[in-house]
Amino acid sequence: MKALRRMRKDWVIYAMLFFPLLYFVIFHVIPLYGMKLAFQDYRILGDHVWVGWKHFKVLFSSPAFGSVMENTIIISLMKIIFVFPIPIALSLLINEVRSSKYRKYVQSVVYLPHFLSWVVIAGIWISLLNPTDGGVNLIANLFGIPSVDYMTSKEHIRWVFVVSEIWRSAGWDSIIYLAAILKISPGLYEAAKIDGASRLQQMIYITLPHLYSTIVTVFILNLGFFMNAGFDQVFNFMNDSVISVVDILDTYVYRIGIGNGQFAYATAASLFKGTIGIVLILGTHFISKRISGKGVW
Amino acid sequence: MRRLELSKIIIYIILFLSTLTVLVPILNLLALSLTDPGKAHLMSGLDIWPKGLSFINYELLLSNPLITGSILNSVWITVAGTFLNLLLTSMAAYVLARTTFIGKKLVLLFLIVIMVFEPGLIPEYLLVKDLGLMNDLNALILYKAVNVYYLFILMRFFQDIPEEILEASRIDGAGHFRIYTWIILPLSKPGLATLGLFYGVFHWNEYFRATIYISEPAKWPLQVVLRQFVVRKDNTAIIGSQNDLFGGAVSFDFASLQAGTIILAIVPLLILYPFILKYYAKGALEGGVKD
Repeated sequence: MKALRRMRKDWVIYAMLFFPLLYFVIFHVIPLYGMKLAFQDYRILGDHVWVGWKHFKVLFSSPAFGSVMENTIIISLMKIIFVFPIPIALSLLINEVRSSKYRKYVQSVVYLPHFLSWVVIAGIWISLLNPTDGGVNLIANLFGIPSVDYMTSKEHIRWVFVVSEIWRSAGWDSIIYLAAILKISPGLYEAAKIDGASRLQQMIYITLPHLYSTIVTVFILNLGFFMNAGFDQVFNFMNDSVISVVDILDTYVYRIGIGNGQFAYATAASLFKGTIGIVLILGTHFISKRISGKGVW
Repeated sequence: MRRLELSKIIIYIILFLSTLTVLVPILNLLALSLTDPGKAHLMSGLDIWPKGLSFINYELLLSNPLITGSILNSVWITVAGTFLNLLLTSMAAYVLARTTFIGKKLVLLFLIVIMVFEPGLIPEYLLVKDLGLMNDLNALILYKAVNVYYLFILMRFFQDIPEEILEASRIDGAGHFRIYTWIILPLSKPGLATLGLFYGVFHWNEYFRATIYISEPAKWPLQVVLRQFVVRKDNTAIIGSQNDLFGGAVSFDFASLQAGTIILAIVPLLILYPFILKYYAKGALEGGVKD
């Protein structure tokens, strides 16, 4: 009774929450519930029919699924190995810049690609990698490397993903490390200087150890999104010549679901991906909380 | 001493080259779009200065109804979308950050569950279909009306407002809605600017939902037209309809027109870039999120 009276008194609060919560119910809860389609057959008219694990059985036995999983894992691994360390290195380099004007210039420029849409980035890279007069091939030619049509080359396209991902995200992602570096006490460097430590030694023995916990946290959080492998990038860089080596889970779901209208089957594939994703995110959240006290939320 | 200077020079050079990898490709497209179409074949991928300055590419693009319409669509989605985002997010953030009420813990738990369990693409697609929002720009505004991560960031901004100010207005008899409109919003301009930029950049750059939900070209936002033209290399969508119009009187160069379209999609971001640097980076760090 008392609770009811209090709730009536606080009606403005509930009124202000109404539309935000209504949004979450409509656009999150209903589609979440809609994931049950993975266990049904889609019917345009009438109720969907329950079919149990049928779509999953078809999925796991299809050869396309095997290659899609392989592409997802390989592309994600390549990004973790080759993209992840770059922002750390970049933050160390930027930290060595003493002129605040030059530092500001570098930061302003390298952050920029983060704000460009993936369509724009694809446009820029398609032009950059043009086999006849693209900038990359022109420079490669100077060193005697013949022109290659990288966008349609199965051997190169995954490396195009790695390099263009570095181009897009390394600057922006260095922010978090730069912020951690700023928190290091200047006294440590002063003391090291008195002891005769060089700049390189200061970097190795002071800066890097202080970055350790940030590096571990970011690394673990990245692992939580391992199954994503960069949908927007693949979606915009993909073409028929390379599809067999770049098709990842998310692009596969898009193609069979939206493209072919196999809604139930595509939902099964996406539920499979989502389940792994949740296990990874929850796992990394608790590991990260234990190590650094910082979680995903 | 000398070796120290050398390493410093090397670092400066590496960083300078890094900035060139960003600047040269963008300046190259800008230069190409400003080059006389007749001389476009003389431009290489590393030229950053136009050959024979000409605005004909932009005249062609901006006289094309598909392009101008798509720019208007993008502006509408960005402005209306960001407004709705800020309205809903700030109301929820005020209530969750600065009031106590029965059920608050439940709402917070619900939001965390929302963060962890992302629904898949297909159920969302079928929902938009069921709601009759296919081919409707409102679908692009509504499907992400509140971003949970951004909501938590704004809550942190609101929590920084000193309690004494709120307490004083409560004593004056101000209700929640009044405190929200008269105190919280005016005192949170940096926070709202930050979130506005987060949401604005998101809407301006959005292309995927528009690709799947909007099939009528007249309703496409700029990013979808750009994708059609540059990524899918569908020239007919833009130039085909124009071929007759110019009757061959004006020569044009596809690559230059593509470059011009890319520049059109970047310009609003460049205009806002000083604000983006000021608010976005700070907000992202304080929010502790990467996006």
